Parts: sequence; C-alpha cells; structure tokens
Amino acid sequence: MASIELKGVSKTYPGNVQAVSGIDLSIADGELVVLVGPSGCGKSTLLRMIAGLEAITDGTVSIDGRVVNKEEPAERDIAMVFQNYALYPHMTVRRNLEYGLRNRGTPRDIVNQRVAEAARVLEIEPLLDRRPRQLSGGQRQRVAMGRAIVRQPKAFLFDEPLSNLDAKLRGQMRIEIKKLQRTLRTTSVYVTHDQLEAMTLADRLVVMNAGRIEQVGSPTELYDRPQTQFVAGFLGSPPMNFIPVADLATGEAAEIQRRAPGVSVVGVRPDGFSLTSGEGGLALRARLALIEPVGAESHLYFSWGRHTLIAAVQGRPNVVENEEVTLTVAPPRLHCFGSDGRRLESA
Amino acid sequence: MVENRPVLDFICHLILIAGVVVVIFPVYLAVIASTHGPYDFMSGLVPLLPGSQAVENYSVMLGTGISSSGTPPVWPMLLNSLVMALGVAIGKIVISILSAFAIVYFRFPFRSLAFWLIFITLMLPVEVRILPTYKVVADLGMLNSYPGLIIPIIASATATFLFRQFFLTIPDELLEAARIDSAGPLRFFWDILLPLSRTNIAALFVILFVLGWNQYLWPLLVTTDPGYYTVVMGIKRMATVAESFPQWNLVMAAVVLALLPPVIVVIAMQRFFVKGLVETEK
Repeated sequence: MASIELKGVSKTYPGNVQAVSGIDLSIADGELVVLVGPSGCGKSTLLRMIAGLEAITDGTVSIDGRVVNKEEPAERDIAMVFQNYALYPHMTVRRNLEYGLRNRGTPRDIVNQRVAEAARVLEIEPLLDRRPRQLSGGQRQRVAMGRAIVRQPKAFLFDEPLSNLDAKLRGQMRIEIKKLQRTLRTTSVYVTHDQLEAMTLADRLVVMNAGRIEQVGSPTELYDRPQTQFVAGFLGSPPMNFIPVADLATGEAAEIQRRAPGVSVVGVRPDGFSLTSGEGGLALRARLALIEPVGAESHLYFSWGRHTLIAAVQGRPNVVENEEVTLTVAPPRLHCFGSDGRRLESA
Repeated sequence: MVENRPVLDFICHLILIAGVVVVIFPVYLAVIASTHGPYDFMSGLVPLLPGSQAVENYSVMLGTGISSSGTPPVWPMLLNSLVMALGVAIGKIVISILSAFAIVYFRFPFRSLAFWLIFITLMLPVEVRILPTYKVVADLGMLNSYPGLIIPIIASATATFLFRQFFLTIPDELLEAARIDSAGPLRFFWDILLPLSRTNIAALFVILFVLGWNQYLWPLLVTTDPGYYTVVMGIKRMATVAESFPQWNLVMAAVVLALLPPVIVVIAMQRFFVKGLVETEK
C-alpha cells in the first residue's frame, strides 16, 4: 500500500497533441480516487501513465515517495484491471492468477495460499480449472480482479472495468469493488466515464475535461458545490438545467446580479424546481411538454421560451401535458456561474 | 440457402463430383499402373484395373531401385525428402514467427522498412534468385549437403506476413497485462504468444511441409551425389532413361510412395489445419 503523487504530469503525443496537461494530484494511502470525465478527456491516458504503460512527457509520478517515471510497469508494483479483462485465453483461471507471482519467483506455497485466498474472497473457487472463454462476463471480471489482488500490489488501477457488463451486473460489481477496496484498504485509482459509478464508488472524485482537472473533492461536495459549469453539467442525472441570465425577466435578473455580480448563467438541479409557489428566487412560467415516470420520482420536461427545462419531482405530479405551470426555485438552490464558467458565490 | 431446391442440389453435386473425379483420376491411374508388369503399357492403352505385379514393383523400388537410370532405392530418397521437408517447414516457422514478433512488438529504427523489405521478397520466387543463390551456396561449400538443401529456402515472406497479421489481432491489453505481470519480451513470447499461435503454426506446418516435400528445381541444382537425391527429383530421373523405355510401373510405384508422407501429414494434422484457418480465438 502506498500513496501516489502526481506533479505537473503532462502527455504530449507526436504532432503536438496535448492529451493531458499539468496534472497535480496526491492520492493518500488506502484512498479510492475516481477519475471521471467525457471520453477523450485524458483520464485513461493519465491512468496509463501511472501504470507505466505510457511514457510521461513532463512532470513526475511518485509511488510511495519514489519517483517512478523511468520504471517499467512491473517495477512499480501496481496491478491493473482492464476494460476487456485481458485474461490470458490459453491459461486456466488458476494459471492466470498465478502468472504474475510466478514471474516474480514467489515460492510455490505462498502462491498457492494467495490464489486460494483470492479465489475465496471473490467466490471463484469452482472456476479455477476453467479457461476464460468458458466464463461469463461477470466471472471474467472477478478473475481479472483476482489477478490484481493476489499480487498484493501497492496500488490497484482500474480502467473502466465495468463498461463491458450489463447494467444489473454493473451495479452488483460496483458494490463488490467498493467492499473489496474497503476490506483490503489498497490505494486505488479508478477510471470511468459513468458519473453514477463515479459518485457511488469514490472517496474522492476527480472530474477531468480536455486534459485538465476541473475539480477534486468528495462526491457530495462536487455535486452540491460544483466549481465550474462543466462539473455542474457532468455530474447528476438528469443533468443540471442552465439558464442564461439574459433570458430571465428583468426584475429577477437584476436581483440575481445583485447577489452574485458578474453572473451570466444560473444552474438549477432538476430537483431544485418546485411546482408550488415560493418566495424569492425564480418563478418561471413554462409549458409541460412531457412526463417521464421513472418509479419513485417523475421527470417533467418543460418548454420555457427556447429552452427545455427538466424537473424531477417526487411521486406523481398532478399536472397534465401541455399545461402551463409556474416553476419556482428557492435562492439556495441556484448555482451561479460567471461568463468564464466558474462558480460565483452568491451572497 | 435454407429452401430445398432439388434441381439446384443435383447440379451442385454433379459439379462437385466431376471436380473430384478430375482430381482423383490421375492418382488412381498412378496406383493402378504401379501394380502392373513392365510391358503392359506398350500397347498405348493404359489399363484401368489393378494388375498382379504390385508386390514385385514395390519391393524393387524399396529394395534395389532402378539400376538402369542410376537412381538409388526409394528409401534413402524418401528419407532425404523428409529431412528437407521437415527442415524447411520448421525452419520457416521459426524464422518467420521470430521476425514477425520483432516487427510487431518492437519499436526499432527502420521497422517499417524492414517489414516492407520482407514483404517485397514475396514478389521474388526462388527461380528468380536461383543463380546467385546457387553461387553463394557453392562458394560456401554447401553443395550436396542437407544445409545446402534447406537453408536457402527457409526465408519466408508469406509466413512472416501471416504471423504478423495474427499478432496484430492479439489485443494490446494482453501485452500490457503481461508487462504488469513482470513478463519480459521473451517470456511474453514464450508463455503467451507462442501458445496462442499454436493453431496457426499447425496450419502453416502442413502447408510448408508439403511445399518443402515438393521442391524440385532446387534439389536438382545443388545435389549431384545420389546420396542426397530427394524423391521428387529422383522420380524425374527414373522417367528419363537413355536407350530404353521408362519402366512406368516402377516409376508409378515410386510416385505412390512419394505421395504417402504428405498425405499422412495432411490427414494427421487436418483438425488443427482447419481450426487454424477458421478459428479466431482471443
């Protein structure tokens, strides 16, 4: 187990393509940090640089206080779980688990003991003599995790490990990964583009965009107080509604300008809208275009001027489609962003 | 086609059967001819039914050979052919899998140039470079030797290309997982690449064995000592005899004997062969 320290890490591909630029991040011992962002934001590249599979153009990566820039993946003593599992197809599950240990010259009895232990924890004991091809997706995923566990590495690196599984299994494995990480307390870096996965797994969440870190913090912190408009829009489902201040009624716009000078866009989470009238904040007269019942709550799609606003309300609302409704937003539920996309604290 | 169309089925089968007959008939003739006496062909008509001389013909070929044409018995020639075919097949596989490994997995200067140079040699069959190659082999004193028979034919662009294409289909993550599992390049090759290439190797072995066995021009050039004659060129020598009729019955017996080893290899390895051609296991 170890801490991981990134200082000014950058990656430039030939042709001057900047994939990752100036990443500073320190990951504490035993922490599970999730890197999340849209595809092409550099999160996988960053992970692969920590793993040693990708050369680091600039900056330093240290594991356990030691700079590992020039070290081979094997020397860094990390384990990685790949999206397509990358199990050796011609080896049995047991051989797959043993392979890394054997190559390191671990004594036979320790290898056996570690494999047995990992198989027990992951409940793959009956599969040990099968080949990867005979396993289901979820089972392969477990074996891939087993291969990481047996090594007892300094850190686990997960590269979108659940994206090849169906939704139900994904939810299940997510919980197992979290439990496993809690038990083993191994420092972990987890890459995903799925914001739900990111929110539920992370001790700390790193939102990336265009090769840079947008914001780092606990999932609730990022959800409640997103520092940029990008983070606000990326986390949460359905996504946050953004309303340009210029489109608001003059009185409301002036009021918001007074509280947060320089604001150009206000954001409202779908659950921030209320169908009952309230004091202060915003009151928007909108036409209900569509109701989407999703079980415990309902998603309401409103047309407001040229915008579509999404509201999430508990239970079944007693409004009908095409009805004109007044949506109100209490002042604390408003997120204000300046024209540069940064959060403005409202007084 | 799911629907049942008897007329079409009939025509298809007719064409297939006709094709099989065309291929089988000469082989059948060779087998039949090898069972007759030496004078049954003088009439110009080839007999279509087995004769009574089978045992005599085959024992002559395996035992003494045809003394009048100066060829040794078939046994040593079969052995020479076997050594050459195995040498060529194994040598080609070893060389080409290693060069494909280098080209696919190592980043060295002029890598793509190296690949294209190998690829270009596909355009140059052995016959084109046969004179310079002969000169080199002769200068190295390798005439009338097994290395002289085998080594010049070993370099193979085709097999290198096939292995390269196969290696390119192996996901990068497998290499990365191996790197994380402390497997160096050679261990990766030995533990992962080689077992995964098993079926491809088997398929190539069959093709290359037959290719090596059927070499004619090259052994004809580099061997003057009957002790190194291969069976394919030996048969040609038997058929061209001076001042007498070729003993077709004996020649055909040698042909049938020469046919057997490739047939055995193909049948024995057929399972792997088909698997290697159709399977895309990853």
